[in-house]
Amino acid sequence: MEVLEKVIKVLAEYKEVDASTITADTTFEELELDSLDTVDLVMELENEFGITIEMEDQKLSTVGDIAALVEKSLA
Amino acid sequence: MIKTPLCDLLGIEYPIFQGGMAWIADASLAAAVSNAGGLGIIAAMNANAQWLREEIAKTRQLTDRIFGVNIMLMSPFADEVADVVIEEGVKVVVTGAGNPGKYMKKWLAAGIKVIPVVPSVAMAKLLARSGASALIAEGGESGGHVGDLTTMALVPQVVDAVEIPVLAAGGIADGRQVAAAFMLGACGVQVGTRFLVAKECTVHQNYKDKILKAHDIDTVVTGKRLGHPVRALRNNFTKEFARLEQSASVTDEEIERFGAGSLRLAAREGDVKQGSVMAGQVASMVTKEQPAAEIIQEMFTQAEEVLKGATKWVK
Repeated sequence: MEVLEKVIKVLAEYKEVDASTITADTTFEELELDSLDTVDLVMELENEFGITIEMEDQKLSTVGDIAALVEKSLA
Repeated sequence: MIKTPLCDLLGIEYPIFQGGMAWIADASLAAAVSNAGGLGIIAAMNANAQWLREEIAKTRQLTDRIFGVNIMLMSPFADEVADVVIEEGVKVVVTGAGNPGKYMKKWLAAGIKVIPVVPSVAMAKLLARSGASALIAEGGESGGHVGDLTTMALVPQVVDAVEIPVLAAGGIADGRQVAAAFMLGACGVQVGTRFLVAKECTVHQNYKDKILKAHDIDTVVTGKRLGHPVRALRNNFTKEFARLEQSASVTDEEIERFGAGSLRLAAREGDVKQGSVMAGQVASMVTKEQPAAEIIQEMFTQAEEVLKGATKWVK
């Protein structure tokens, strides 16, 4: 499964919404995710992918941003 | 005597931090708390590098002991004050309102102990991993910017999630609450509201009087709509703020503008009707002005008594 697809799947479960409603361009604002939710979600993704995600100064505002961060951590 | 790993970590006598209250926690209060054996903290709030340098210098004139600086990460001057603490050789940095990730490496390289305030388990895990020396788990009972979880619910969950020392904050004004924090697994406390009425606290007398007169049900949370809820004592300001928040025709920008400068107005100018009198739910337990040293001694003497009697129901 592609990273983006898997991120969307995790997000869909996290927010209890249909995965088909989420794309790479969907913003956290649209998903009603605040900064605390984002950190919580990053922890979920770490478990899902078995990775450690460095969170320093990235501007995370879309689903695509977070998928790119996961890809970077997998590399 | 109460000694915890936090005392050893920082070389302090009592495991207590004074909260970094914006417009309030200056050199006078921070030095008094440090001199009394706790950790005094200067609030860098929205101030610039120049102001912080001066406040650090004043603190050093008033105390030889360790003190800290609270850096509010949403501040427009966060980048510059983040460098000031390194240049000035500050030993402890407490962070609030966000993720200090981008500053962590340089602070740690400078030998600074970083102790972030965390409102959730995920944030606690992330910051413990990034090199925090300890964490402050702050429940929504506290004054000023608040999270959703209560101290009672948050502290044990953070304690379970990390290996480093955890301080409890929010809802702590006397020795019973200090003892309860230890029972929840914390090894220290951060206290804001009770220090508002310390003799050495330079907040306006009207602000102190308003705290001293507060009842248990007098605090309210406003600002949820803007994404940064704040707890303060109910007054004209909070009423008007709540009204604006509920009005669909008022924009977020208009509300932000209405709130701007409100804490300074109450804390420095003493307008406790139109200003924001931030305080925690324990404001009503704060009934007299005392020197910071007396406040700390009273809290820990009582905590010790309570903890010694803690087995009385165990049969």
